[in-house]
Amino acid sequence: MKPIVQVEKLRLAFPGSKNMLFKDFSVSFNKGEKVLILGPSGCGKSTFLQLLSGIIPGSIDIPCRAEALEIPQEWGYVFQDPDAQFCMPYVDEEMAFVLENLQTPREKMAERMEELLSAVGIRLPALHTKIQSLSGGMKQRLAIASVLALKPEVLFLDEPTAMLDPEGTKDIWDTLKKVGRDKTVIIVEHKIDHVLDFAGRIILLDGNGNLMADGTKGEIFARHRTELREQGIWFPGVWEEYISQIPAGSKSIPANGKEVISLSDFKGIHGKEVKIHVDDLKVQAGEWVVITGKNGAGKSTFLHALMQFIKTKGNYLLKGKRILKGVNPAKEVAFVFQNPEFQFVAGTVYEETAFSLRMKGLEEGNIAAMVENTLRVFALEKQQHLHPYQLSTGQKRRLSVAASIIADPDILLLDEPTFGQDAKNTFAILDKLEEFRKKGAAIIMVSHDEQIVEGFATRVLAIDHGRIIKNEYILESERAGMTCTV
Amino acid sequence: MYIEWSPKETWLHQINPSLKLLVIISLFTVMLLIDDLNYLFSFTIAVLLLFILFTGHPFKRILLFSIPFFVVFVSTSFTMILFGKGETTILKFGLIHITEESFYRGLLVGLRALATAALGLTFALTTKPVLLFYSLMQQMKLRPAYAYSFMAAMRMLPIMAEEFQTIRHARKVRGWEGKKGAGGFFRKISAYSIPLLSQSIRRAHRIAVAMEAKRFRMAGQRTYYYQTGFSWNDVLFIGYFLVVLAAGYYFSAEWPYFKQVNF
Ligand SMILES: Nc1ncnc2c1ncn2[C@@H]1O[C@H](COP(=O)(O)OP(=O)(O)OP(=O)(O)O)[C@@H](O)[C@H]1O
Ligand SMILES: [Mg+2]
Repeated sequence: MKPIVQVEKLRLAFPGSKNMLFKDFSVSFNKGEKVLILGPSGCGKSTFLQLLSGIIPGSIDIPCRAEALEIPQEWGYVFQDPDAQFCMPYVDEEMAFVLENLQTPREKMAERMEELLSAVGIRLPALHTKIQSLSGGMKQRLAIASVLALKPEVLFLDEPTAMLDPEGTKDIWDTLKKVGRDKTVIIVEHKIDHVLDFAGRIILLDGNGNLMADGTKGEIFARHRTELREQGIWFPGVWEEYISQIPAGSKSIPANGKEVISLSDFKGIHGKEVKIHVDDLKVQAGEWVVITGKNGAGKSTFLHALMQFIKTKGNYLLKGKRILKGVNPAKEVAFVFQNPEFQFVAGTVYEETAFSLRMKGLEEGNIAAMVENTLRVFALEKQQHLHPYQLSTGQKRRLSVAASIIADPDILLLDEPTFGQDAKNTFAILDKLEEFRKKGAAIIMVSHDEQIVEGFATRVLAIDHGRIIKNEYILESERAGMTCTV
Repeated sequence: MYIEWSPKETWLHQINPSLKLLVIISLFTVMLLIDDLNYLFSFTIAVLLLFILFTGHPFKRILLFSIPFFVVFVSTSFTMILFGKGETTILKFGLIHITEESFYRGLLVGLRALATAALGLTFALTTKPVLLFYSLMQQMKLRPAYAYSFMAAMRMLPIMAEEFQTIRHARKVRGWEGKKGAGGFFRKISAYSIPLLSQSIRRAHRIAVAMEAKRFRMAGQRTYYYQTGFSWNDVLFIGYFLVVLAAGYYFSAEWPYFKQVNF
């Protein structure tokens, strides 16, 4: 059978970079195959997908060469950030944009839109609905609907659920499995739980974009466990392995831990609405609090209120000091944004990492040593001269964490710092945070990962509709797996 | 701009947007050429009638929008009136010297500003940007590449406003303290505008890539979701201004409101 997508002896290098990302890379895909591409963060998976679809070099100009390159006629590409792929303000106008490109007659458009939206499970009271009013999951489904309008033979999916909560993630994958059944689907994804029962074939890349293995799912997980582990890629069972090597008894909170955050009748206000309301909450040094909840429940808003990004009311004591209007808590608190791009203030990875230290007025010699060390821990040394926006998704996230914890803070607020990350780097981030906690820092972090809760959290807060609905200590098993509700 | 509120649809909304734009641009030119106070006065009244009665927006909002116009009108005419030159003195008091010529000249400039603003706002209040671009593509053969770039850019404006806020937060979080005073102010502006611009450019590029991934081609045939054409409303709109211009001319000659002055 003639392959539907094929590339032979591919070579690709970014302008100005010495190393080649792909060197004589060959692979081919048959019609109807469901393929998962696995590899460590930054190895070139997204780049590869863009190349297979012709986005590189068609829309993004990057020098590349291949002896043979077969790109599908009809393809669709789902990007990871829902917001970055719409060009019109309303649902119907956005769908119309695609249909117009395909020269669909005007009379047929409304019908076709209904058809496509129902295929992805979107039911709206009216087609003319603002895209901005949709949830992240809905937006991503809309993106899939417009991709389906293209009647693609091949679907390219680059971490389509990177911005979604577990429920939204499951939804999107269910949708994709349904609409992708009779198509060729090529997927890049770190969190493989939902993908494994869909993809039949796995392609394994190493850190430099070399092909390590290519085979059926069963083969790869049976024969290539060592490679998977070495490259730090997620595979079933890796969490268990990692958690089992954490020394027992490490989850204890120091008994004399000082109270670092104390809230009572605390409200975060956005516009004129109270978006988060905390009756009473105290956090002490050495705690690792994980906040869970659905998309839109108010988790990020809670962190934003603590950072005073939004208006707040009520009592807020930070290390015993009252935080009043106009006080910037950032002197005591490090913050990692949910969207790492929001955080970047400098023009290169190196400068970005050094920024907080410069602000503190440290000596240049010390700064260099600290920055180099941090970049090594987060596997960003090779990228230090790039612009933060040029990094891969996982690298961006790592940089945002690295840059905010470098100044050695003792209170850390993090908004999903391990999303879109490979296993190795997730563990590196967690190890680093645990090190801080052991030194007496307090960590408050939004996360959907069950495993982080199990392995690291000393307390879980569940937020729903702007209220804390669960506040539970999770202490180690030696203390009889005791969870006590407060 | 239009975007947030949804007014009642009036006949002004149903005029072909390209035609409306053309008519209004020609009216702007005509207005510059009129230097007869009586004539301009009739014209301004006619424009204000459209603005107040037919935009489909509630009166309160119309009133609110009128405040800046009024300020513009009063301030432009008064500077001309109080400090203009002329021979027939009406009042003289220190620096202030009102002459008949300066009085009429001031009124003329003020009315021109008022009519321009009212006309422009009437257009903005009754034209959906998206429809304007669709019409420009269909009737004026604007290339889709430009039309869609503009529409995508418009979608980015509110995003950019949000972004500004985000950059502010990012700097705050990282311990960047703006200095007080004028120097601090300019430093702040440059510190914000450079990343804001560079991020917008990158974002725009990303949207462009997504658009091309959806088979948007710079050239080539396309169909249109919104069909824009011509209707009797267009005739009414043009007719209205033709009548106003003719009648205004007639009135200014036969029954002037103001004494005719040459200046
Ligand atoms: N314009 C550029 N110049 C130089 N290097 C670049 C440029 N853009 C990307 N890179 C580098 O190319 C590599 C591959 O990036 P890519 O986005 O394909 O990685 P990825 O495998 O998708 O990673 P992730 O899993 O983190 O998303 C990264 O190391 C990145 O830093
Ligand atoms: Mg990627």
